[in-house]
Amino acid sequence: MARIENRIRRLRFDAEEMTQKDLADRVGVTRQTILAIENGKYFPTLELAFRIARAFGVALEDVFTFHEDDGR
Amino acid sequence: MSRGEREALTGLITSLIVLALFLWHLTDLAANGALVGPDALQIWARRVLVLVAWSIGIAIVVSVAFAILHAVVTGERGDDRRDERDRDIDRRALTFAWYLLSFGLLGVIIDLALGATALRAMNLILALCAGSEILKDALRFWLYRRGA
Repeated sequence: MARIENRIRRLRFDAEEMTQKDLADRVGVTRQTILAIENGKYFPTLELAFRIARAFGVALEDVFTFHEDDGR
Repeated sequence: MSRGEREALTGLITSLIVLALFLWHLTDLAANGALVGPDALQIWARRVLVLVAWSIGIAIVVSVAFAILHAVVTGERGDDRRDERDRDIDRRALTFAWYLLSFGLLGVIIDLALGATALRAMNLILALCAGSEILKDALRFWLYRRGA
């Protein structure tokens, strides 16, 4: 089964310990949505994914990584 | 608690109060023998219309009371935004509610074909509407709680 991982928590820490609320305000969603994305419970739309990457000033692939299992 | 989560919880509370109110009034009508005779459906429909008006009032009171209670207990104003996750949760919950309503309506039609009265069918449809609303809000609340 394929899985998508994210590095949002790490990126927030590197961005002067940006809070979930700060990131949520920057990308126009609720803090709960950022929390759900960080925990891998919710997968954002492509638009929101790009917004998050832009908020950190990095490429999309630096925030989200796609892993496909070997036994596809 | 986000706005969507608050709406799901207040919707659930409202639906349960309204369902209890409907059951109480319609049981009362039936016990008084008002639902027997040629004008039974008319009496039923008038009572339901009154109850629908009451439901709107109850929904407003519950959401205002909950907003005040939430602000007092948590000390926070709450996030009033609705975003793509709220819409996704709404869509998922609505899908299940729609299935219940659709299959339920099919069941009512089968019941009618087997000889059920129009009044029974209308009561079943009313119960289905209430049931699907409760299912939708309960699912929304559960999805929010599990962090979906």
